[in-house]
Amino acid sequence: MSAARAKEAALVKLLAAGDRAAFEQVYNQHNTSLVRVATGIVRSRATAEEVAQETWIAVLKSISGFEGRSSLASWIFSILINKARSRAKREGRSVSFDGAGEDDNLAAAFDGRGRWKNMPELWETLTPERILAGRSVMEHVNAAIEALPPSQRSVIILRAQKGLDADEVCAILGISEGNMRVLLHRARLSVRTALDGLM
Amino acid sequence: MLSCKEVATRASALIDGELSTWQALQMRLHLAMCKGCEQFIGQMRTTRDLTEGLPTADTHDEADKDCINAILSQLHERKQ
Repeated sequence: MSAARAKEAALVKLLAAGDRAAFEQVYNQHNTSLVRVATGIVRSRATAEEVAQETWIAVLKSISGFEGRSSLASWIFSILINKARSRAKREGRSVSFDGAGEDDNLAAAFDGRGRWKNMPELWETLTPERILAGRSVMEHVNAAIEALPPSQRSVIILRAQKGLDADEVCAILGISEGNMRVLLHRARLSVRTALDGLM
Repeated sequence: MLSCKEVATRASALIDGELSTWQALQMRLHLAMCKGCEQFIGQMRTTRDLTEGLPTADTHDEADKDCINAILSQLHERKQ
């Protein structure tokens, strides 16, 4: 067992034993991302916070059944996605993560021969601390992620920000690896366009 | 030779190292001759770096303590 998995197994034991500090650690590590992913699905921050809360209750109730076949984060996000989808369904909406009907935002950037209409320019150094239009670059990045469709938002948070393995992200969202790569690419294109507009 | 549009479509695959040797070579050939695409790939690389490997917005404050208390008390109530 890898050191990371052994550490996680120890954390799971503490959670199963009702250790409050262990729960605070896991909650602080993931809750904001849970709410951000859920908001894309249920379309309301307040409802997303409820869904995240229900997820934590489900996690603590069933933690003793967690077998470690996936990472703990992957398991927690799977529960969240199921709960958020059920909530959206109750509200008469079905949520799919295959990205069907979504396009990338670059189509209009090229002429008929596939050449740039306006050539991209070199960005000056962008650091997370840099302030653009009164906000840090990271605030702009997060705002651009919040504006993404649910499929792209879920992929970029789970894969890029939470660092889940590609196969875990695909299993959680029920999509193929090729599909996940397309969604991640489209998400980056949107964030890149938002940043480019600030330069 | 690849068009700029094709290069843009494969930008993430290139920076994530997912292209075959031949595909990557085709991209490099285009980039050697096209400043716009070279700068676009640089922008995509910066975007990737800003969206991963950095602390996420997972912050915590007193409100979170209240939420944690609410979750634990609900759990306790359901167990009873």
